[in-house]
Amino acid sequence: MNYEGVIEQSSVGLKELVDSGEEIIGYIYPHAPMELFMAHGFTPSLIRALPGTASGFEESLQTFACSYIRNLYSQRANGQFLTLAGLLFPGNTCDALQNLGDVWKYRFPDDRVFRLTYPVTRYSQDDSTIKFLSEELRLLSESIAATFNRPFLSESYNRAVELVQDFRSSSQFLYSARVVNPKIIPYTDVVRLVRSFLTAPTIASASATKDAATVVRNTAEELRLLDNIESVRSAIMSGDYSGVKLPDDLETPRIAIAGGMVEPQAIASMINEMPDIPDSVIVLDLLSFGFKTVFTETPSKSGDPFTAMAQSVLSAPGEPTHEGLSFRMDAMKGLLSNLSIQGLIVCEQSFCDPDQFEAPSIERAASELGIKTVRVPLDPELSDRGRIETRIQTFLETLE
Amino acid sequence: MTEERAAEEKPYRRLETQALLQQIAFRHGLEAMEASENGNLAWVTSGFPVEIPIALDLGVVYPEQAGAIIGAQKIGPEVSNIAEDLGYSQELCSYARVSIGSTEKPDEVPMGSLPTPQLLLACNNICGTVLKWYDAISEMTGAPVYLLDTPPIDKVQLPHNQEYVRRGVERLIEFIESHFNRTFEEARIREVAELSSKATGLWIRALEACKTKPSPLNCADRFLTMAPVVSSRGTEHCAEFYETFVAEVENRVKNGIGAIRDEKIRLLWDNIPPWHTLKFFNILASRGVVFPADTYTHAWTGNMVAVDKSSLLDQVVETYSRVYLNMGLDAKVDKMCQLIKDYDLDGFVMFSVRSCKRYSLGQLVSKELVTERTGVPGVIIEGDMVDSRVYNAAQIETRVDALLEMLM
Repeated sequence: MNYEGVIEQSSVGLKELVDSGEEIIGYIYPHAPMELFMAHGFTPSLIRALPGTASGFEESLQTFACSYIRNLYSQRANGQFLTLAGLLFPGNTCDALQNLGDVWKYRFPDDRVFRLTYPVTRYSQDDSTIKFLSEELRLLSESIAATFNRPFLSESYNRAVELVQDFRSSSQFLYSARVVNPKIIPYTDVVRLVRSFLTAPTIASASATKDAATVVRNTAEELRLLDNIESVRSAIMSGDYSGVKLPDDLETPRIAIAGGMVEPQAIASMINEMPDIPDSVIVLDLLSFGFKTVFTETPSKSGDPFTAMAQSVLSAPGEPTHEGLSFRMDAMKGLLSNLSIQGLIVCEQSFCDPDQFEAPSIERAASELGIKTVRVPLDPELSDRGRIETRIQTFLETLE
Repeated sequence: MTEERAAEEKPYRRLETQALLQQIAFRHGLEAMEASENGNLAWVTSGFPVEIPIALDLGVVYPEQAGAIIGAQKIGPEVSNIAEDLGYSQELCSYARVSIGSTEKPDEVPMGSLPTPQLLLACNNICGTVLKWYDAISEMTGAPVYLLDTPPIDKVQLPHNQEYVRRGVERLIEFIESHFNRTFEEARIREVAELSSKATGLWIRALEACKTKPSPLNCADRFLTMAPVVSSRGTEHCAEFYETFVAEVENRVKNGIGAIRDEKIRLLWDNIPPWHTLKFFNILASRGVVFPADTYTHAWTGNMVAVDKSSLLDQVVETYSRVYLNMGLDAKVDKMCQLIKDYDLDGFVMFSVRSCKRYSLGQLVSKELVTERTGVPGVIIEGDMVDSRVYNAAQIETRVDALLEMLM
């Protein structure tokens, strides 16, 4: 299925939910506490930029605004959004999203806009970041309860934790399995399942991921790869790669895709449409809507739920908006070198400060390992698709 | 005689204090070099609580000021190119680009490259970019980065936000103490806080003097004279400079001397100035346009009064969390409307700075809101503070002309 087809499918899934009476709260930054919305009886849905979005931002945003936020704004201005009960903006992540939240409140005063402010600090060696984010989550919960007269229900929260845990555990297995054997399941299938769950986190979408993981597990068992897969999964979760066991007969080239809020499916579709390039060259992505969401710890069901959700959110792999460039580069180097990656595609959203600041450091870090890189500036509309494809194709040919 | 006459014919009046400013800048440069050689130099962002490193006897420099100097020398594009050759996009903050460029090739930027830092102190109350910029400099120099995270606030700073920032300030002190083997002494911090408060108080007096007609200062005057209050608050020479400066400003007020010779229109300026084209203000001065107020230089008006470490921390948390750029759109619009009212302004010019997203995104909305609430017209012009490649003088002139036609 091509990219447009996947988008269509997930939109249909969401629309069906709305038609059946589910109320949706959209969120834009991927590290949002899905469990919190579900505890209040809402379905959270990750709102993403879409290709083919006509202009519409010009009344409120300059052309030098990040292409991602321009796209989101245009979708809303053009009436492309489904009816949402509310929309969550992140605070303190990047300047563009920070200001977009303000602009949105003025331009769309009927929208119920919430804000969750994140700490940037990551290495305080005390509990200040967890305390801050826990309180932000508690206030968000109070605000949702007051706005909709829907309390936070522990039972719903516990069910949500289990649902998200099911999804994460299955998708972590699929990601890890592909590192060991990228042919075991196409990358496009994995990211389609992830997209489907993040768009509509339901029992059905979690089950689809779980079913795919079961099929892959059976295949892996036949191929005697289960230990290898578990070694990769636990290494990624712990950051300690000393126990990684990869098969000796890995097919090459093996590439990874780095970047931020870039749609994994968009990159995968482009690569799939290139002649003579198999999907299996993509071993892994390090993107916000893929790897970084999948490899986040699940909140504990015991203790204070807001603290547990804060700990979960803060356990996600680092984003360029966080403190700690050197830690992120060390983590990436550990991952690339121990998972036998030979090439790295570095995606940069046009006019995105975090992506564009991080890219040179990623390039240098990969170069230190002898890993080739290609930088791909893009926007959600893939308006320069021909050039992007040529760049990626040329890069892949150099790895062969 | 000829020179005197030429000076007399200029539409604006040069401040005598500018000569003193050059001396201070020279002294500041020498002190920074010495601090770097002694292993004690911190680079600080413009919104950083500089009182703390100063009280702990570190030398401080201010890379945004260096960026302004590079811009004013009109070498922004060349220095940016150095950073762009290293892989940094032309779409990124031009202060950051020229900072990275001048750090990479300091010999090519004799005026504007800074001595090697031993510490990089970033506070994200002015934007999120500063952390990534300082991370890049850290990769180049090996100096560690300390981030003081001040999550943006709307109108009120909530207790958990205060507590989080306060803990960040405490960790900052612990970090400097352990890295530089320093001890935080209350007597010293009181002294620094008093000097800081004195300098800021004098700066506020100078700004408020511009409510007078004619305004004793124009935008360019304030952009040039703001440097010490940004980078050297808490030092004696900073307070001394502003005593002299305020005396000159108040003398102008007393004698009815304006910053420009024939004040006709009073405008508000929003955003960082185009350092490469400060003559923009002088050209407008020749048409009788003065800018008695701006949102940029009014950002350094947080006045701290501290009697001990605990009260200083509280003051730091409040002052540095509530800076203009760390507040929501409502607060920004409120501030602009207040300035228009207090300074009796006829209109406003918003400079949409392509590489400063935090300051600029939202201006299209705030322009409408400010006009709606004050009844005065405004115009948005687009360009960049340092990178003159994206500054289209003819287009800007056309837009400003349209505004002036409405006002004349």
